[in-house]
Amino acid sequence: MSRRAFEWAARWSCVAAALIGCGRGDHETRTPPSPDAAPGSQFEFVDVAAAAGLTRVLHAGRPGKDHLLDSAGTGAAWLDFDLDGHLDVYLVNGWLLDGDQVVARGENALYRNDGQGGFVDVTRQAGVTGEGRWGSGVAVADYDDDGFPDLLVTNFGKNLLYRNRGDGTFEDRAAEAGVEAPGWNTGAAFFDADQDGDLDLYIAAYIDVSVESVLEAERTLVWKGLAQVAVGPFGLPGAADHFFLSDGRGGFHEATAEAGLADRALGYGFGVRALDLEPDGDLDLYVANDSDANYVYRNEGQGRFREIGMWAGAAFDEHGAAQAGMGVAAGDPNGDGLLDLFVTNFSEDFSTLYLGDGRGFFEDASLDSGVGPATHRPLSWGTVFADLDCDGDQDLVVANGHIYPQVDEHPEQQQSYGQVDLLLENLGGARFPRFRPVSDQAGPGFQLKRSSRGLAAGDYDNDGDLDLLITALDSPPALLRNESRRGSWLTVILEVPPGGGTAIGTRVLVRAGERTLLRDCASSGSYLSAHDPRLHFGLGRHAVAEQVEVRWPDGQITRLEYVPAGQFLRISPP
Amino acid sequence: MKQWLIILICGLLAAAAGFQQVKPAQVRPLPEAATPPELVATYSNLADSILATKAAEASLVRSIVAMTFRHAEGLMARIEDKLQEGKKARREIETLADLVAQLGNEGDASVAGIRKRLLDAGHHHHAGGEEQGIYDEGFVIVTKKARKALLEVAKKIGQMASAPDAPMLTEAWNEVIQISASLLKEQ
Repeated sequence: MSRRAFEWAARWSCVAAALIGCGRGDHETRTPPSPDAAPGSQFEFVDVAAAAGLTRVLHAGRPGKDHLLDSAGTGAAWLDFDLDGHLDVYLVNGWLLDGDQVVARGENALYRNDGQGGFVDVTRQAGVTGEGRWGSGVAVADYDDDGFPDLLVTNFGKNLLYRNRGDGTFEDRAAEAGVEAPGWNTGAAFFDADQDGDLDLYIAAYIDVSVESVLEAERTLVWKGLAQVAVGPFGLPGAADHFFLSDGRGGFHEATAEAGLADRALGYGFGVRALDLEPDGDLDLYVANDSDANYVYRNEGQGRFREIGMWAGAAFDEHGAAQAGMGVAAGDPNGDGLLDLFVTNFSEDFSTLYLGDGRGFFEDASLDSGVGPATHRPLSWGTVFADLDCDGDQDLVVANGHIYPQVDEHPEQQQSYGQVDLLLENLGGARFPRFRPVSDQAGPGFQLKRSSRGLAAGDYDNDGDLDLLITALDSPPALLRNESRRGSWLTVILEVPPGGGTAIGTRVLVRAGERTLLRDCASSGSYLSAHDPRLHFGLGRHAVAEQVEVRWPDGQITRLEYVPAGQFLRISPP
Repeated sequence: MKQWLIILICGLLAAAAGFQQVKPAQVRPLPEAATPPELVATYSNLADSILATKAAEASLVRSIVAMTFRHAEGLMARIEDKLQEGKKARREIETLADLVAQLGNEGDASVAGIRKRLLDAGHHHHAGGEEQGIYDEGFVIVTKKARKALLEVAKKIGQMASAPDAPMLTEAWNEVIQISASLLKEQ
């Protein structure tokens, strides 16, 4: 991995230099803004986590990060568990180690939104502590179709399936449901794979390792000949991903091989996103693998999948090289009505923007869009496409942080363990969206240097813009409240009544002026995280959306005309 | 009497042993500062095996690529027949794209898993070639350049699956033939 990273650094630094010469900036070198860029930045983000009461420290193994598990971090989710109209927060926690001793088994956290900008810790009364397991990720969905969102918590160990009882408490049903799948589980996605109306479940896994190996780990890999760091992932055996088919009664059975989802390369799986890539009405699956080819599983109908990544153009970068896939964002940054993918990668390599053609094929647009040079230096994890200034196009946020604290001893390498997160402003562009980094003009929230991991976007204060929840190793989360200057907005709430199936997979197209904006509903994404389930649209100067079109998973369509901006619009299936 | 006899025999044996110990020290030459020849011979035999294993790896991977190519070749013929008959061939063309991508990856995902195992253990078939940027990590006969070209052709072929254009497909296939022939040439 390190040799590849050097090679990429050399190759792309030339490219970055060429781009700078053409008037685009990268993360380090500021260049004059392009002519169509707004003067200065309209972005302003402030970290209000502590003031809002989000104080849980998220443990991550040992300070020296002797094993990759110490560095993997955990995810975060936005959900409205009590259906009061305010987004609540769920945080996944790890363990604190001292050498081979377990000092503390971190408690996960459920924070109820008090509706006044603050959060109240209700973890224990809700019964979602994480049972002392070393947590990884979270996915949110109403798997039992009772109207209340449930939580799947993936772990290093057995997973937890917290069923929401609807009275403010949860119960773990993982064993009964058959989804415990002990191992180092990471990203997960609920989606209706076979279009029978209930939610199936895909869970990625990283490496096959015992708790004893983690506790006894020693740093034996030599990083750039300078420091001894944690080994892996090469040198560690990959673990197989799982696919569970729902029986429609709250139970699941493993159907990985039958569905064509067998992880034959034993890829080091991290980020997972279910989405309709073609779009033909059934949900496909994208899995980001660390140091391996990413998987593109095309849904062939009736719950059968075919892996097409290698010839669909989204398994590797444009040169055919496998990258260190961490997190995944899906969105439509170029506004062509087709879903694109963004995959975060290791430092000294580029995070990759794959533009979809709507037929299941992708083009690597990292260079042309400017995201390549901007993401080359940091080590990137959580990510989201989000229209943060409500100007009608989706910007891009990337959570960053190195895995080796030892890099701080070598400042000449121009790396640091704590890194600022990256905000890339979308400047528009017909075929290729063009992005420019604006973190240094985006307020104090984007000046924090931490080793960030999970990232989830959500409008927790219901003010019409998206805020950012970001986890970091050995720290409480950051909650970056969005105080940017912004255009008008519209947020769509997909309301499926209990027993009415799922909204996951629903696509919403909003037409405002010349633009058509696309969003889709998913249980999870980013890195081990889950975004606001409500779909947010920036409308720029438009006070009205001429049309809102909702394509439900069963193929039915709801159309609304002339919808006023500035509202939370509730839409139910016909 | 019996005791005296035993003591006498033991004494004679001890004296003989002492004599034996002294005598070789007087005649044995100094040991040579050299690795024992029998160990050198064994190591040499082992080296033959190690080198043969590496050659066998190259030969096996060449066979995987050759068989994948033959499979693709047969499929291409079937696709051409179907297209000539005016039939659709979406599944076949997508499978052809799969096979061409596999040519570029020296096999399918299962082979990639084995390659990863070898890399995990520190085995790089072309360590020098990787340093020079000729090969991707763990690859045996498919160069980086050939791999990129094959993946691009695979995508091109896959994109034709729903609306095939026979001459364009043939053109893409000819590229595959050319790259594969160069890879399969004995080195």
